[in-house]
Amino acid sequence: MMGSGRKCPDCGSSNVVEDDLYSQPQLVCTDCGSVVSEGQLTTTRSEEVQGTIVRYSQSTAVDKQPCRNQIKGLKRVRALCRILRLPPVIEETSESLFAQAYESTDFLHVSLPKKETLAGCCVLLGCRMQGWPVTMGTVTSLLDTDSCLMGTVYKMVVSTLKLESPHTNIMDLMEGHCREYHLSPPGVPEEFCESADRLASRASALVELASDTWLMTGRHPVPVMVASVYLAWLSLKPSPARLKLSLGRFCQMAKVAVPGPASKRVTELKEVLCRLGQELPWQKGAVVSPQKVAALVGDVLKHRISLLKRAIRSHEDALAMDSVSGTEGLDVANTPSSTLPLSLCTDGVAPICEDLPIGSSPCSEGQPDFHQSQLPTPHAEGCQTVQSVRDSEDVVVTATGSAKNPEARGEPARGSAEHWGKRHPFVPPCARNPSKKPRLAETGPEVTGDEEISDSEIEGYLRTPLEMREFAETQMKLQSDSY
Amino acid sequence: MEANNDVALDIIITNVVSVFRTRCHLNLRTIALEGSNVIYKPEVGKVLMKLRKPRITASIWSSGKIICTGATSEEEAKLGARRLARCLQKLGFKVKFTAFKVVNVLAVCTMPFHIHLIQFTKNNRPIASYEPELHPAASYRIKNLKATVQVFSTGSITVTGPNVRHVAMAVEQIYPLLFECKSTMR
Repeated sequence: MMGSGRKCPDCGSSNVVEDDLYSQPQLVCTDCGSVVSEGQLTTTRSEEVQGTIVRYSQSTAVDKQPCRNQIKGLKRVRALCRILRLPPVIEETSESLFAQAYESTDFLHVSLPKKETLAGCCVLLGCRMQGWPVTMGTVTSLLDTDSCLMGTVYKMVVSTLKLESPHTNIMDLMEGHCREYHLSPPGVPEEFCESADRLASRASALVELASDTWLMTGRHPVPVMVASVYLAWLSLKPSPARLKLSLGRFCQMAKVAVPGPASKRVTELKEVLCRLGQELPWQKGAVVSPQKVAALVGDVLKHRISLLKRAIRSHEDALAMDSVSGTEGLDVANTPSSTLPLSLCTDGVAPICEDLPIGSSPCSEGQPDFHQSQLPTPHAEGCQTVQSVRDSEDVVVTATGSAKNPEARGEPARGSAEHWGKRHPFVPPCARNPSKKPRLAETGPEVTGDEEISDSEIEGYLRTPLEMREFAETQMKLQSDSY
Repeated sequence: MEANNDVALDIIITNVVSVFRTRCHLNLRTIALEGSNVIYKPEVGKVLMKLRKPRITASIWSSGKIICTGATSEEEAKLGARRLARCLQKLGFKVKFTAFKVVNVLAVCTMPFHIHLIQFTKNNRPIASYEPELHPAASYRIKNLKATVQVFSTGSITVTGPNVRHVAMAVEQIYPLLFECKSTMR
């Protein structure tokens, strides 16, 4: 225990040892107990494990070291990038985004869960900017956070850093998504096995069809992907055993979670496929039932462009027949002869061959966009529905809520709302089945806001003394009963 | 674009929110006892009073600040607020109807065409934002009007703004942008 060769000045013994008092190093004589010398009481910031008295945000150090949460956040960003196996470019982008966002004033006094979510949002933003397909749901589940919080923080980051967040190309997501499905021999019967590549190509074609027929816009992408994978799996081998398996059991078998709206998407996709299947020449116009449509999916996807055109044409013919028979008062001249609900690719229109091979997307990979089919549009530009010519003042007048001609405006509005969904074969499902009545401007009384208020109007809102007494008594009784 | 002159759009106001002050302390218990159509919420510290005509719900705080919601026009909101103030006067409070202001107007409008949200967002970055994983509509904020427009793919839009005039101007401003991204006509 002879720590150091010093002599005690008091008693002269050489039994001086190092004996620290908490964080202060001291040399103490063991014989007489006097302190020979003592070291520094304070330590540097990097050595201190306990917190400082001065808060980090208030410290006036010129060159601030990153604070603990920032370091943790950066570590989280790196960990996420490693889990998702992202290339180094994305990792660097995410780290710089995180540093920028963290140091901005918007994230200064933000709660800890938000700061933790910020790491995931920066990774997501980095992936989006580099065109790497990752869904918000993946990052949310990795962070084990709430999806609402994720959305809030993501929007905050985008607005704080003033960046544009490009959309993820769903076709890129599709391949990765299909690999999640466990459909290989060991765990799954032979009858139900399917290779990921075949599944991906068929499901991608189904997703393209969904985006062409208004089933994708505004919807969450994941349920549509799950629905299209299920239908692709059914159609690749439409045996009775496979057809018996429902969406839920399929996902259970493949060990994939079923998102809520997925079954609705399956129904909607089947409806579209039935309508297109009806147009196949060898169906001869027979109605296709949703149960039997799986066998026709391959053919429908192969000839989808021409089938879509045929479906629209036959729908218009049916409408024309109805209007001629006088059941609906539609002005035939006003309906466009071939309105196509399909959009143009913004890069220009290229003439397209009828039998587009499945899976080939004309849009380049770099375009962060849902696939839009390119169609020749000599008709669509030619026909413009003739709108009623009115003054722009009408727009302001109706805005005040007191419609001048409520009946006149209401009738055509109601009439057109009824026919709106029926005029085109492929519209968003909510437009096809308007379960609610169309909203009309309520014809309330002409009010100026400064009218006289008579006493009689107010009487109804006041209790009579008798009522008040009864109310008070009842309350007392209830209170006494509860005790 | 001249499209504005050719098409009549029905902007339907669904909600007008307004505030006013009574400049006196209000005893919430008295209001709960003596008023009918009231709901007393002691945990939050307010009373909800519902008027029948115009159909308005008012949140009354004891400080004298009152928020009225549910009106379908600015005039209706003012009438409803005055009726409420009169009602409180009858209950015995020295109420003064001051600082009436319409704070928010919510309106809906339907375009006669579908809208491609991806194209709309691309054309109007960074003012427009569309995240299908979060919300089905694309949102467009007009800073100078302090209005927010939510655009749905079916052509319906909801507009919120500080008053009816701004809401109408917002619809006029956004119509040409939506027209560019339309896909079919009704």
